[in-house]
Amino acid sequence: MLIFTLRRINLFIFTMLLLTLLSFSLSKLFPGDSLINLSGQINATAEQRDVLAEAYSHNDSIIHQYWAYLTHLFDGDLGLSMASHLPVSSEIMNLLPATVELSMVSLLIAMAIGIPVGFIAAVNHKKFTDNAILSIAMIGYSVPVFWLGLLAILVFSIQLGWLPSAGRISLVYEIKAVTGIQFIDILMSDNEYKWQAFQDATAHIIMPACVVAIAPMTIFIRLARTSMMEVLDTSYITAAKAKGLTFWQIIYRHAVRNALINVIRHVGLQFANLVTLAMVTEVIFSWPGIGRWLIESIFQRDYTAIQGGLIALSSFIFIVHIVTDFIYAGLNPLARDRKHGA
Amino acid sequence: MNILDIRNLSIVLVSGNKRILAVDRVSLSMKEGELRGLVGESGSGKSLLAQAIMGVLDEKWIVDADRFHWRGTDLMRLSVAERKKVISKDVAIIFQEPMSCLDPTTTIGAQLEEAVDDEQLTGYFWQKKKQRKEAAIKLLHKVGIQKHTFCLKSYPHQLTEALCQRVMIAMALARRPMLLIADEPTASMESTNQSQIFRLLASLNQLKNMSLLLISHDLENMTHWTNRITVMYSGQFVEAGTTKQIFSTPFHPYTRALVDSSPYANSKLEPKSYLSALPGSIPILQHLPIGCRLGPRCPRAQQACVDAPKAKNHHGHLVSCHFSLKETY
Repeated sequence: MLIFTLRRINLFIFTMLLLTLLSFSLSKLFPGDSLINLSGQINATAEQRDVLAEAYSHNDSIIHQYWAYLTHLFDGDLGLSMASHLPVSSEIMNLLPATVELSMVSLLIAMAIGIPVGFIAAVNHKKFTDNAILSIAMIGYSVPVFWLGLLAILVFSIQLGWLPSAGRISLVYEIKAVTGIQFIDILMSDNEYKWQAFQDATAHIIMPACVVAIAPMTIFIRLARTSMMEVLDTSYITAAKAKGLTFWQIIYRHAVRNALINVIRHVGLQFANLVTLAMVTEVIFSWPGIGRWLIESIFQRDYTAIQGGLIALSSFIFIVHIVTDFIYAGLNPLARDRKHGA
Repeated sequence: MNILDIRNLSIVLVSGNKRILAVDRVSLSMKEGELRGLVGESGSGKSLLAQAIMGVLDEKWIVDADRFHWRGTDLMRLSVAERKKVISKDVAIIFQEPMSCLDPTTTIGAQLEEAVDDEQLTGYFWQKKKQRKEAAIKLLHKVGIQKHTFCLKSYPHQLTEALCQRVMIAMALARRPMLLIADEPTASMESTNQSQIFRLLASLNQLKNMSLLLISHDLENMTHWTNRITVMYSGQFVEAGTTKQIFSTPFHPYTRALVDSSPYANSKLEPKSYLSALPGSIPILQHLPIGCRLGPRCPRAQQACVDAPKAKNHHGHLVSCHFSLKETY
């Protein structure tokens, strides 16, 4: 297990290095002065420029420049946003938690509903339930997320008036941002309206999270269904049947864990997809997350923000990837002491 | 008394609109404490028959029989669930490729413990966990595994194939079965391990008076261990009798060919002579010949063979052939 952990950390470091290499080369590839692209100081005077060139080793070889860029990165200095003239790192620290919150809640919804439903479909294979679940999943997968988001706002916010249509929390609640994750902040605060605030935050997150969750959920349904059907076909299930276990004992003790293993493997992959959906959804629901900010930065040609947001988002996705790998290894004894493979 | 009595058991495979008769009216009976062999080429429906007895075939397969009695209970009158309950109480099965028959993500200990049924345990539920563990250790000792602590906490992939088969046997013994069906228990195993497993099974048969149905395509081992043998070909019953009857005076041309093709079973073979074998291979399920399915390959086939022959009994030696070799001996 130690070697497994070391391998994952090794993988993490090298992937991050590659990412920084990409983001560094972006500063050269974007139009304009690469020094300005890195630092974001568009209105720098000649003296300020000299100072910046010194700080980013801009007169040395490209390897020195990359090294200087890495040092800045490790100091948490991602340059200034070209649009707002605020440090990109502080903007990311303000916005990323909202995206983490939204995508995590959506992932939870997608898994908590998708996987059991997929298992139910597999158990009822070739019956009405299976067909019904499969066709609904197909419809859910084909619906575009922006349209679904607008439709949800139209129905639940405007016509029925059940849920708020935009934002993370109502303006009347003043919650001090400590971690940035709204729910943790609410629970940590000593506000007397804590529970009302909690309810309000929940009401705000339900709709965007569900909209984001729909497409991954349908994928989980199908993954769980195939994986469960494969497991139910194996000889250890036949052997367990011959042992005299009842059907539900077999499902609960042997089939679910083995089927879950195959599904968990794909969760990391699906997560990147989910974050992309979350970015679109953030725009629709005015969710103050990094996705909306990144899309706006792209429109404003805010090159520093694009580079910083890219690094922040991809490291987040990669960390989730590694966490799912650990869960996979925890569930599957075969993966724990494997010698090779990423 | 026969503990298991099967007459004319048929297994039909339903795929789409087609119905394929995979096993065609096979009869099999087992006495208490008997060690019976079931021989046939691969694809002859031996494993299907075993799984049909256990009731673990899925919905694609339809099982029907004129008579299917287990210790005097007519199983065909019971519902599927009741039948499974009766059978799994007294009959256990071990499969080929034992490693794939053990759940790869659960420890051997947990799998062994769940095979121990509640009736053997006494006391309250908090005492049962310990009792289960003790029972599991005892079972491992019974099948000749001494390192029980190592074995109980291992996962199947950490053990060898032969060790896994011993664990499977231990699991089968957990319910104290009266009949153990061993479906090619030693396929893909080294020969030393093979004989160890066979010796273990034979000793269990003798010491515990447990009946054993040994399924194999390997005639060589059959001569050593079994009292009686049933031969199947392409899902049809061929011949049944004592091991001696089958090997010295086979009545059916197919059994004759089987015996002739094995240098060990066929002691009359001249040194350095060719082994004889039937031409062709076993028919696939989609293209089964009508009547006696050996027909196209049979050296003695005649026009009458397009009708399936009925089994004839010659002093306990059953044969299903129109032109049996009985007269030639």
